[in-house]
Amino acid sequence: MIEVFRNIQAQLNETPHLLRLGRLFSETVLIEVGQDQIYLTFERGQLVEVIPGPSRKTPWRFAFRTDAEALEKFWQPVPEAKFHDIFGLVTIGRGKIDGDILCLVKNLRFFKEVMALARPAREVAA
Amino acid sequence: MSIESITGRYVTITVEGAPRRIYFEEAGQGRAVVCLHTAGADTRQWRHLMNDAEITANNRLIAFDMPWHGKSFPPEGFETQEYMLTTEAYMETILALIDALDLDRPVLSGCSMGGRIGLQLAALRPEKFSGFIAIEASDFQPAWYDIDWFDRPDAHGGEMGAALVSANISPYAPKAERENTLWMFKQSGPGIFRGDLSFYTRDDSLISRLGDIDTAQTPVHIIVGAYDLTCTPQDAKRTADAIAGATLAVMDELGHFPMSEHPVGFRPFFVDALSKMPSQG
Repeated sequence: MIEVFRNIQAQLNETPHLLRLGRLFSETVLIEVGQDQIYLTFERGQLVEVIPGPSRKTPWRFAFRTDAEALEKFWQPVPEAKFHDIFGLVTIGRGKIDGDILCLVKNLRFFKEVMALARPAREVAA
Repeated sequence: MSIESITGRYVTITVEGAPRRIYFEEAGQGRAVVCLHTAGADTRQWRHLMNDAEITANNRLIAFDMPWHGKSFPPEGFETQEYMLTTEAYMETILALIDALDLDRPVLSGCSMGGRIGLQLAALRPEKFSGFIAIEASDFQPAWYDIDWFDRPDAHGGEMGAALVSANISPYAPKAERENTLWMFKQSGPGIFRGDLSFYTRDDSLISRLGDIDTAQTPVHIIVGAYDLTCTPQDAKRTADAIAGATLAVMDELGHFPMSEHPVGFRPFFVDALSKMPSQG
């Protein structure tokens, strides 16, 4: 799972509009996928560190907790309903958000688009 | 170059004892269909259908910006008021607009909060309409978010609102229309989305009125998208089940803003809905 987030890290750093969108975002986010914990540390929109947990010494601003199967569905090119958005996962009990939710909401487009970087672009029918 | 057939004008009506200058658009001829936009948006959500020559051949589609929305100014003194839409003011606005335009029992077609108020009018003022198309509409949903997030001096409520409602747009929606749909939220005035949501997420008075709706006099057709997290197919079905004679269509590949986010996907559902309405008021 951590490899997916390292790929997201590489993609984000090549996505200028997201770097601009996140230019005021310098926070650490905890991603929990089943038993795995991953800390994403952002500095001015750049994802500077992707560190495996667990860690009791790493403070985080907010956390997104889900499971591997839900994330796999979330990352499909055309996700099924409820799996198409992190809030969709929350509404069906497959996702949970903890911590400073207002911080997430203020940076919601940025965070959602970063999370969706692992979703391959769907092919548009001719 | 082609000039669209949509025309826009202004009319001043009275709501809550004070004037409201309302921007409205129309296209087509024949049966009048009044189209209501969602929370935090404006008439542009309806532009695709209003530019559909087959639909407007026999239907006069009329959409208007609610006060505080789009090109309809807030009332004088708004700068010291907290905008909070109420069921009463919303109904009064629609009824005043219908009277001002001298419409005889139009079909009322509303999306989201527009669908909700449509069902309120179906229960309370059915004599003013010939039928109701309620899109992404249901009896009541409490907010799964904090509506106060969207009206803050330290953040852009429109940007946050757009990011929130993007959760309700289907991945089948064309990218350009997804972004156009979100743009309207980004453009909405400070506190407007919150004030609309106050109506949508706190007023549950429709629940007890659903049984009063007489679909033999005014048909009710509810349409809902599977990707809508706010008004889910389950919400819409519960609502349709509570209205004797109401019909329901579920759109597997659409979300909460179907006429705006995916007009091609929505078109057949809207045409079907129109076919269920009386041909003339």
